[in-house]
Amino acid sequence: MEEKRQITAIQTAAIIVSTIIGVGVLPLPLFAVRAGDSAAPLVTLLGMLLAICGLALIAWLGMRFPNQSIIQYSEAIIGKIPAWLGSLLIIVFFAVLTSLAAREFGEVVVTSVLKRTPVEVTVIVMLLLAAISTRKNITTFAYLHHFYFPLLLFPGILIVFLSLKNADVINLQPAFTTGSPGIWAGVLTIAALFQGSFILTMVIPAMRRPERAMIASMGGLALAGGLYVAIVAAAVSVFGAEEIKKLLWPTLELAKATSLPANVLERLDAAFLAVWVTAVFTTLLSSHFLTVRATAHLFRMDDHKLFSFFLLPVVFVMAMLPQNIVQMYDIIEIVGRFGLSITILYPGLLLLISIFRKKRGDVS
Amino acid sequence: MRILKGYGKPKQKKAVAAPGQKLDAYENKPVSTRLDDTVDFIEMLFGGNSDLIIRHFRVFGEHPAVLAYFSNMADQITINVDILKPLMYKPSHLEGKPAEPPQLMEVLLNDALYNSEAVRETELAKLANGILRGGTVVAIEGSGEVLVIGTRKIEKRAIDQPATEQVIRGPREGLIEQLGTNIALIRYRLQSADLRIHSMEIGRRTNSKVAICFMEGITNPELVEEVKKRLSKIDIDAVMDSGYLEQFIEDNHISPFPQVQYTERPDKIVANLLEGRVAILVDGSPLALVVPTVFSQFYQTVEDYTERFLLMSAIRLARLIALVFSLVFPSIYVSIISFNPELIPTEFAVAVAGGRAGVPFPAVIEVLIIETSMEVLREATIRLPQQVGGALSIVGVLVVGQAAVAAGFASPITVVIIALTTIGSFATPAYNAALALRLLRFPLIVMAGVFGLYGVMIGLILIANHLLSLKSFGVPYLSPLVPGNFQGMKDLIVRGPLSWMTRRPSFLGPVDDRKLGEQTEKTLEGNLMDTAQENGKEG
Repeated sequence: MEEKRQITAIQTAAIIVSTIIGVGVLPLPLFAVRAGDSAAPLVTLLGMLLAICGLALIAWLGMRFPNQSIIQYSEAIIGKIPAWLGSLLIIVFFAVLTSLAAREFGEVVVTSVLKRTPVEVTVIVMLLLAAISTRKNITTFAYLHHFYFPLLLFPGILIVFLSLKNADVINLQPAFTTGSPGIWAGVLTIAALFQGSFILTMVIPAMRRPERAMIASMGGLALAGGLYVAIVAAAVSVFGAEEIKKLLWPTLELAKATSLPANVLERLDAAFLAVWVTAVFTTLLSSHFLTVRATAHLFRMDDHKLFSFFLLPVVFVMAMLPQNIVQMYDIIEIVGRFGLSITILYPGLLLLISIFRKKRGDVS
Repeated sequence: MRILKGYGKPKQKKAVAAPGQKLDAYENKPVSTRLDDTVDFIEMLFGGNSDLIIRHFRVFGEHPAVLAYFSNMADQITINVDILKPLMYKPSHLEGKPAEPPQLMEVLLNDALYNSEAVRETELAKLANGILRGGTVVAIEGSGEVLVIGTRKIEKRAIDQPATEQVIRGPREGLIEQLGTNIALIRYRLQSADLRIHSMEIGRRTNSKVAICFMEGITNPELVEEVKKRLSKIDIDAVMDSGYLEQFIEDNHISPFPQVQYTERPDKIVANLLEGRVAILVDGSPLALVVPTVFSQFYQTVEDYTERFLLMSAIRLARLIALVFSLVFPSIYVSIISFNPELIPTEFAVAVAGGRAGVPFPAVIEVLIIETSMEVLREATIRLPQQVGGALSIVGVLVVGQAAVAAGFASPITVVIIALTTIGSFATPAYNAALALRLLRFPLIVMAGVFGLYGVMIGLILIANHLLSLKSFGVPYLSPLVPGNFQGMKDLIVRGPLSWMTRRPSFLGPVDDRKLGEQTEKTLEGNLMDTAQENGKEG
């Protein structure tokens, strides 16, 4: 069945935003502070700029080949065998990303809310939820993101605003750091949190007007990045850099430290976490959808439904591999930085070669 | 889903005529010229029925003829005065003209009969169908034709207030069972040459008349085709109500959410026709179906548009809150009590704990028990005669509720929560949508008991995902929210002023999408500006 091109630019932006905002927000201030102390917002901003460059490459490529995904046009650009290798790397990487995100959120839930539940249960529940939803077509996929996008933007902004009560600007100074060596590693780690935006390459072939992919993706990334910077700034200004280094999930602590006016809800962390399930769900949905659809494209199949449950056990086992939270975060940082070469360098390479070889998709 | 589909597929069987369908044997058989043969045929088909009348007489005093009808379905006075009488007495203007059997039928039809619904038929099957529909058949010796005259008259109830869709401000007429009356109710509200009513017969044995109404030049022609296609595929022996059809034409059969809206208000049907929807009416059912349906229709009422916009927007918001309450309230209560009591203010948490002190069950079991008994009570109240129903609900709610709390069986807060939830579900105008949410409440409570707030969110995400992938006749179920449409959103959560809603809903793909004339739109805009300026001056 030929899927009609129905996705609008706004939906594309919503997909980018809700894909990026996910479980990564919880430890985000910690990553940023480790790299740059009180310059953490600046580190986040730099990470965002790097991510913007990467996404621009993908959007540019997508607009050159408006009817194909990266799996398909890479074959036209660099030939079958190298493209096959590249695509395989993409698939494996996003499967790993899915498993790590599921594990990370599973750990968060088990640590802070459901203390007596085994982490396997929370992980498998999230993965099942994502897998069931990936069986829909790409138009419904866009609808899902479009629907959830305000729901996850709102609590994020709310937390930032409510925490202003306890904020102290002094904590944010000095805002610039004198280039410690760790800062660039931090920028890479934070840029890696934006990697979900790679889903754009699957969305462009279904966009009503692919030529608007660039503006949509930039808008989406700027919105998500803006929220990231705001959250980091809020966390640092409330707790201070040194305190944050002792917190595992500073954003969650931020929710704990704030309360609604008039004491309607005495504590916000459990409610925040509950709402955050949607954010994690959309992230998992995107990365699993990307994995599944890329696999389908790799084997030249139109229907990706088959793979959504087929790949699930693999993803689950990978999610259970890290021994504990500390090891998990080490892996996340390593995998994230390595992934940048797949989500930024590889498309960059493809773009260069495609310009060099004057390859273009048919614009019809 | 795919697996289920595989199971559901019936093995291709040969189309076998339903047993006992005597009429099928006479398909395309001509009427005999001998009167006795025709009478034999009628007697063979309907002879066992005591309400069949076969009356022998002579046309103009010379040609032997017979008249047959079902006595209780046909209008006796019409038959006596407008059919029998002119057939027996030769009118003066026919004196001297030749009227022998070959031309007799034509003469009778053109010059003698006082009835507009008379047709000449030559097939036995049509003759039989005519009698079955309440018509009267006139057969004459020597003629290969019969006259089938529409004399159907069936007792019907008066047009009443719609029982399930009452309004304070708005028309008070409801549909009744007779299709003809219902079409008249629609037509007099919509006196337009563009209103089209197509009819078809569905039901192998009931041969129920089904009318498909739409507006030519507004309704998307593809939609009309799709409706006709889906209806014509239905092969069932009986259609007792429009609800039968709904279950065949809906997109997703296992979804708890209704994808077809039903209504008993002719004004609502007209409003929907004008938006570009298609209405389906069935003879014998006082409920019309309206397709395609989107979720927002279930919390909108006719009254939203007849009363002024500001007031009704507020009321619609209240309805929306009630709808959400009826779905999530008990599950949120369970998860807060069992998993996250720290969320609610301390004083309240202490009060809740005090109320629950003597209750032996965990919150989830307690809520499930009370919730189930509430469902039982509600069902009992519907089934009981009206005189007893009121008394029962008082006994049930007040006495049993109070006693359950006093006996330490349930905490007072639980009773409050369940009562609010139940009232909330009654505030939803569409009964079938309220039913869906009522049903989904139970799995949510269980999820809340197992995983707390996390579980409730998982459940809600599953429901939302299902809603987002659902379609009604190709229209996404959550339109105009997702996919977003600015024009449609003016009538989504609040009801915008009529002057804002200049277009028909675009998700229905109407041919002509303008609702409001350009002139009116400009005038209204001008007025608004003037008012704004005046206000500005005063300020």
